[in-house]
Amino acid sequence: MLIRFAYSFYKMQNKYLRVLIVLLIALLIPLAFWLKPGAIEEAGLTPPETSPEAMSKQTGLEIPCKNEHPEWREAQVIDGVKIDESLACNPDNPYDVAAFVKGMNNISMSTWMNTQLSGDALTMSDDLDNDGDPDIIRIKLEVIELNGSTPDGDFVFPGYDIAPGIHPGLWVFAPKTSDMAVKNYGSRQANDYLRAPSPVIRVEQGDQVYITLENTHYFPHTIHFHGVDHPWQTAAGNDNDGDAHGGSGDMGVFPGDNHIYEMKPRTAGTMLYHCHVQTDKHVMMGMAGMFIVEENRPNNWVQTFNIGGGHVRHPSAGVKEEYTQEYDLHYQSVDKHLAKIIQEANDPRLIEKKMNREYNMIESHENYFLLNGHAFPYTLRDDLIVARPNEKIKLRVANAQNSAVALHFHGHKATVTHYDGIKQPEAMQVIRDVVDIASAQRVDIKLDTTNDGLHNDGEGVWMFHDHVEVGATNDGVSPGGNISLVVYRDYIDEQGMPKVHEGMFDQFFTSSYYAREKPIWATGEFEQQLGEAGSLPPNYLKIIAFGLTIGLLFALVFYLLRSFKKEQ
Amino acid sequence: MNSIKHLFLILALALPSLHARAGMEGMVMDETGMIMNFNNDKIPRDCPKISGDVDITVRGGHEYAKKFNGTMYAFDQQQWDVAPCSRVNVTFINDDKIRHQFMIHDLPGYIYPKGMFTIEVNGPGQKKASFILPSQIKTYLVHCEVPQHMEKGMKAQIKVGGGDGDLPSIPGISAPANPDVYGVEWNKTAWLALLASFLAGTAILLLLNWLKRRTEKRK
Repeated sequence: MLIRFAYSFYKMQNKYLRVLIVLLIALLIPLAFWLKPGAIEEAGLTPPETSPEAMSKQTGLEIPCKNEHPEWREAQVIDGVKIDESLACNPDNPYDVAAFVKGMNNISMSTWMNTQLSGDALTMSDDLDNDGDPDIIRIKLEVIELNGSTPDGDFVFPGYDIAPGIHPGLWVFAPKTSDMAVKNYGSRQANDYLRAPSPVIRVEQGDQVYITLENTHYFPHTIHFHGVDHPWQTAAGNDNDGDAHGGSGDMGVFPGDNHIYEMKPRTAGTMLYHCHVQTDKHVMMGMAGMFIVEENRPNNWVQTFNIGGGHVRHPSAGVKEEYTQEYDLHYQSVDKHLAKIIQEANDPRLIEKKMNREYNMIESHENYFLLNGHAFPYTLRDDLIVARPNEKIKLRVANAQNSAVALHFHGHKATVTHYDGIKQPEAMQVIRDVVDIASAQRVDIKLDTTNDGLHNDGEGVWMFHDHVEVGATNDGVSPGGNISLVVYRDYIDEQGMPKVHEGMFDQFFTSSYYAREKPIWATGEFEQQLGEAGSLPPNYLKIIAFGLTIGLLFALVFYLLRSFKKEQ
Repeated sequence: MNSIKHLFLILALALPSLHARAGMEGMVMDETGMIMNFNNDKIPRDCPKISGDVDITVRGGHEYAKKFNGTMYAFDQQQWDVAPCSRVNVTFINDDKIRHQFMIHDLPGYIYPKGMFTIEVNGPGQKKASFILPSQIKTYLVHCEVPQHMEKGMKAQIKVGGGDGDLPSIPGISAPANPDVYGVEWNKTAWLALLASFLAGTAILLLLNWLKRRTEKRK
């Protein structure tokens, strides 16, 4: 019956039928629109349930503290070098500290075997002024690329994560090392010496310093000693200012070549050094570090390198006169698009073009903000300031970012003692709770932990961070960036992690958090109320009605066209 | 540059005698570099004896990368073929003013801790050391592990008994696993070749049609 009807319908090729079909089509089109099932739809009485999937998404879960070297934390004496206690999760290797205080030429074989330094990384000799410490200092720096590309596969080498799952391409100066670049064979993670920031360099006022730049990289580089008393040319008439843009520095020190800079700094203070080749790009890639000239004192063996910045485990004689502890804080930012260039090609010619001639630094943005080479939560592992009440702690702060830093301490008001390395007269040493630091500026800060309601509000786990709030994010995901903590002794556990509510920081030690895959407050009682809203179930009634309508529409159009063809 | 040479001289003199410290067995470290796991006489378990001596002299530096487009550092040779159980006596010459390494992995761990043999030369100069290979037919990686040196060309291979294939991205020998992308030069000849091929393609169809019609006519 139905078939016969359809057949007669098919056979009827008169005008009226066509008009009817056109009318039907005209009616069905709005109907189809009305029935269209969408990718998103309004919920009715019952919005969808909280998705359990997003909750269980814990990709890249990490242990907050791996506790690799608990024996490194305690105060110790190595080769006669007194090394202060350092309670953080990842303290500096005390054998490195000993080598940096005495030089490779003055340490024992067993100390050397506990480091990975090259035999010519640091040589200290000749007590020229007979005051009990060496005065000729020879330092060798290499240029290291972190998270670079490789022709051998789709990964970066050597790997250096600034935060969980985040590994932008970086260039750093590094002390001259030896042996493998990675932690162990089979690992792709860089060893402890190959990291951001470029290391803090410390010398004594009046030392004759020779710094050899050994350019191990594939692009030219130089070193400019910003604020450090240095002659424009070396004694032999070679470049000594690192200016590769028309100064005496030619085009820079090219790959495979080296260059020796020399200086005998008369002025003490917290200064800088940085590459001065294509400076806008190279500094943003990480080629800047702190250069500290310590005041001259008798028998003053200073810690020449502070790898990764942070706690100074062997402060200078001058610092110890006034302070109980010293920390170096290096603020640095990363433009993720610039950083990606070295991961997108391997041929140095392609990287040169992409970085210098295709990428426009005028359009550069800062995406990651590092304190001593790490972004929160990794700052918790090695960038804590561990304090006791009634201490005076010296902080040397450098801003190697493009943008200004507005450094703010919770629970403390800091006294700014030095600007750009130069001591302020006593009456001008202002007390502030936000310290502004322009690009390339340095401030020395006295953190007084006397609980007097002015300098300090008491003990605790107090945050400190850039109050330009994006600086406290990882590419816009908060908390991140340069957030770290002033942790009082009673609030730090035996692994160097702050004693706060159990597992409070754990959720941040996952790459999925910073990949924006996890709802931020879905915890405890609020797991359901602030979790990830699930999806609506498919509306089958609507889907079927829509399907039928569309099908009918197509068929009608087909028959209409067919009827015209038959007529011909 | 003269001043640099001069300073090197001062540096060499200032150092308290070449304290070539042998800390671990098979290890020599001093301010000119280090040798790790040298082995003149320990014969691998699977070798009845040392089959013979192979002397190789290898140079490293940016100079040798010039013949391979898109690289920055290289060895002067990229492959060595040696017989199983050979003692390889390596002279590694560094022609750059920076650190370079001649590093081999995957050697038997009971002779070579971490499976490695390394000669590291801190600057211009050379070092010599030997190692003994096992009998296994295998291709060993030789590289400089200063970050980005292998990636930018400083990679070679030692094939024992013909080896078990080529490693990827050895300059001049094997293609990279993760190759770079370059622009293609679309010149007149290339466009003409494309046009001619297009016309030839259409001609094939016309030819088939013509053949079909001809066979139909014959019927």
